[in-house]
Amino acid sequence: MIEVEQLAKSYGFAQALKGVSFTVQKGEVVGFLGPNGAGKSTTMKILTGYLLPTSGRASVAGHDVVADSVAARRCIGYLPETTPLYGEMRVDEYLRFCAEIRGIPADRQPGAIGRAVERCALQRVLGKNIIELSKGYKQRVGLAQAIVHEPPVLVLDEPTSGLDPNQIVEVRSLIEQLGKERTVILSTHYLQEVEKSCTRVIIVDRGRIVADGTQAQVTAAHGGSALRLRVRGPAEAVREQLQQMLPPSAPLTAEGGGDGVTTWRLGLPAASAAFPAVVAEQICRHGWQLLELAVERASLEDIFRQLTGRKAQEAVHA
Amino acid sequence: MRETIVVFRRELRSYFLSPIAYVFGILLVSVLLYYVTEATLQNGARATAEPLFGTLPFMLVLFLPGLTMRLWAEERKLGTLELLMTFPVRTGQLVLGKFFACLAYLAIVLALTIGLPLTLGAYGKLDWTPVLGSYLASLLFAGSFVAVGMFWSSTTRDQMVAMLLSLVSLFVLYQLGNPQNIEYASGWMPAWLVDTVNGLSPHKYFVSIARGVLDTRDLVYFACFCGFFLYANALALETRRTKG
Repeated sequence: MIEVEQLAKSYGFAQALKGVSFTVQKGEVVGFLGPNGAGKSTTMKILTGYLLPTSGRASVAGHDVVADSVAARRCIGYLPETTPLYGEMRVDEYLRFCAEIRGIPADRQPGAIGRAVERCALQRVLGKNIIELSKGYKQRVGLAQAIVHEPPVLVLDEPTSGLDPNQIVEVRSLIEQLGKERTVILSTHYLQEVEKSCTRVIIVDRGRIVADGTQAQVTAAHGGSALRLRVRGPAEAVREQLQQMLPPSAPLTAEGGGDGVTTWRLGLPAASAAFPAVVAEQICRHGWQLLELAVERASLEDIFRQLTGRKAQEAVHA
Repeated sequence: MRETIVVFRRELRSYFLSPIAYVFGILLVSVLLYYVTEATLQNGARATAEPLFGTLPFMLVLFLPGLTMRLWAEERKLGTLELLMTFPVRTGQLVLGKFFACLAYLAIVLALTIGLPLTLGAYGKLDWTPVLGSYLASLLFAGSFVAVGMFWSSTTRDQMVAMLLSLVSLFVLYQLGNPQNIEYASGWMPAWLVDTVNGLSPHKYFVSIARGVLDTRDLVYFACFCGFFLYANALALETRRTKG
């Protein structure tokens, strides 16, 4: 549905995108993550045809966003980051304008607008001027605008930023619903949002993709997991035993508790689903008491911080 | 075409949804009538609307930048330009829709001055041909100024900058076609230079049409003048896509 190849964009001397490539299949809900200025918005603006790339190419539903821009734009519903709206217009007028300019025939407009209004629960504010609406409602008007022509692709730039927790839940469930029938790309700062509503994560940092895949893939590839054990037994002997089982470079930390109990945390070697069982067996064989055994998966947040935070520090030192 | 009409309708309606339409219209008409009433309606004056159309060009120089400065600059500032430019519409269609909406609005404002010629017609023998010609000329003239002002508005997000640039360029264009200046310049400048400089100004063609003689060359001039600036306008917007 969306193909992006070696996309680059410079603003003057500043390089916002440095060769980004990814493909999005029909029906995927992709969460675009990254710190501010990483290139999320730039990518979205190029996909929607607002900006032209400096180099590289992108296509939406088979239409090149540069050569066949108008056709590509026809397939997209877009909610820009700032949710721009014509404040002086009434909600119904505004949606009619969007339907008209999207080329929905006059006889199908009432139906299309009605569906968008219902989905975004705008019935109560239809006759109000947009400028009088609360931020949550404005956001929903922006979403209604983006879906009124039933586009196969939705591009939502930070759809929940600045909303209160109730509104966030509402907008999120709306996105979840929308994602069932169409391809969605959304950018966000809220990692839970990606965990809840996206089938795939793309993490960008300083103009490059640093991680791409389903959440499980990304966590496995970048975070790995850890094994946490609480063992009652002689600490030194336990350590020796654990070290024998681990590759030499694997992290191993210990935290002493009272009563001869130690909490161990060891990096779980990749691709060894049976490893916890082996550890448990060894400990029992020595006659130590295994009080607790848990596999801790790195959260998306850990990975996000690991992939994007460290580099920011490097940049400061450079 | 359909897209242009959709943009046109929204734009024209938005004039009347904000106070701008009313403030601008009422002020322009009041100032115009204030200046010309005395000259046209006093005892013994000729039944002619010439003072009205003689004052109009300079009033447009003063007033139009205030109307056109917001056309693109405001959309850019509010971010709605991003919305417009990601709709499946060509940039030229956006430009034309906006331009004709502004022109339609000005036609409505100009129509509000019809009271003056009507009054003259009621009390004296008014020749309506130059009056109608002048209305047409005013509209074309206003259109050429709108094209200039709108172009400047597309180059910046700061409305004040757009206003000042428009004001200065409109003033220069006005002066280039001002009959008094032409007379003065012909005294010491070669005739071809005077003709060339003078020929650039919409003011000259305004005077020509306002006489009541409709010459195709004048119409072609206005079409070219507006076309040039509208094209530059679309180009300025398109360039933004590269620069970001």
